[in-house]
Amino acid sequence: MYLTQDLELFPEYTVTQLLFKDVKNATELRKMAVNGEIKGALINPSMVVDAFQILVATNKAVHLHKIGKMKTRSLYSEIIFNLSPTNNISEAFKRFGISDSDTAVHIVLVHNKEEPLNIDDIISKVDGQQIDVGQVSEFTDTAKIKKLYKITPQEEKCGSLLDAVVCRMATKDVA
Amino acid sequence: MAHTDSAKAAVPYYLKEAQMIKQGAEARVYRSTFLGRSVIIKERFPKLYRHPEVDEKLTRRRTTQEVRSILRCRRAGISAPVVYFVDYATHCIFLQDVINSVSVRDHIRSQPDGLQTLAERIGEVLAQMHDEDVIHGDLTTSNMLLTSGEQQQDFNLVLIDFGLSYISALPEDKGVDLYVLEKAFLSTHPKTEALFQRLLKSYSNASKKSTAVIKKLDEVRMRGRKRSMVG
Repeated sequence: MYLTQDLELFPEYTVTQLLFKDVKNATELRKMAVNGEIKGALINPSMVVDAFQILVATNKAVHLHKIGKMKTRSLYSEIIFNLSPTNNISEAFKRFGISDSDTAVHIVLVHNKEEPLNIDDIISKVDGQQIDVGQVSEFTDTAKIKKLYKITPQEEKCGSLLDAVVCRMATKDVA
Repeated sequence: MAHTDSAKAAVPYYLKEAQMIKQGAEARVYRSTFLGRSVIIKERFPKLYRHPEVDEKLTRRRTTQEVRSILRCRRAGISAPVVYFVDYATHCIFLQDVINSVSVRDHIRSQPDGLQTLAERIGEVLAQMHDEDVIHGDLTTSNMLLTSGEQQQDFNLVLIDFGLSYISALPEDKGVDLYVLEKAFLSTHPKTEALFQRLLKSYSNASKKSTAVIKKLDEVRMRGRKRSMVG
């Protein structure tokens, strides 16, 4: 149901992704993420093309966290910031974080392999139905993503939408 | 969370397990798995013969230029490997590994006939690239890959190794870019003058700014090594 993957560069960590639909308590969840009750990044699934995109953002966030060069204040806000094509932090939260009216939530957790992760605890906090992370494409708003990332029609010839998004995420600092 | 010292070791530690496929004067190239995908890692290692501050600035600049050029090409629809991650601390670029491909160099050597379409396509792609004001800097047939498309005759041309690339609108720079390719092409593939002419013709047709560029190319040819500077 949930997707757990390793980061080859940071073998001490594991990344877990969860996806929920028909979520009724988005407002509560957002508050819990902000006050630290939920130690994870809550992302708007309409901006997610594939779980790989999340992994790339997470990898960069963990890297910057380790060398003390994050642009935002926490690892989880950094993940959300990395997804955005711009360097404006509040804009990143607005577009990629969840809002009170959202009914679907994509949750990303990063945890040390040595500390056991209580997934059920997180799941119980969400008033919604958990679905397979692979189904995130059902929520993907391709038009919105193309517009926000300013993806040209020619670009789609030489790669997939995921390629275009990931490339921009990785090169944002120098573009 | 881990101590900062071991944090700096993350990428180098990872590279120890990776398979090094090439070592040049500028960088080492590895192949490995990253986030479940096959990747190429280009590591610009520190040059001890340089002054450390100069080395850091120069290496960082080369890394950012390379990454910028790749992004610019992709935005224009020119195939180049996707950048997955850049570590500015160790100057490593994690790129998509273009699998199931053959370099244009190997292709021409193994199949010396029926290369007209290929030459035309290369001309077209380079015209597109130069119209975007991207100078590759190291155009050789080893830095162009061929991947197969949907049909048997279809193929996709992928440009790689943007390590010496930069952005410039000057016809002189574009002319030099083509000159580098011409020298590399003719020395690697004997008796291909006609093929290269076809490439240039295709370039002229495809590029909006080609006249000035070809003019500069002719001038540069006259200038090259072992050429008389008379006249």
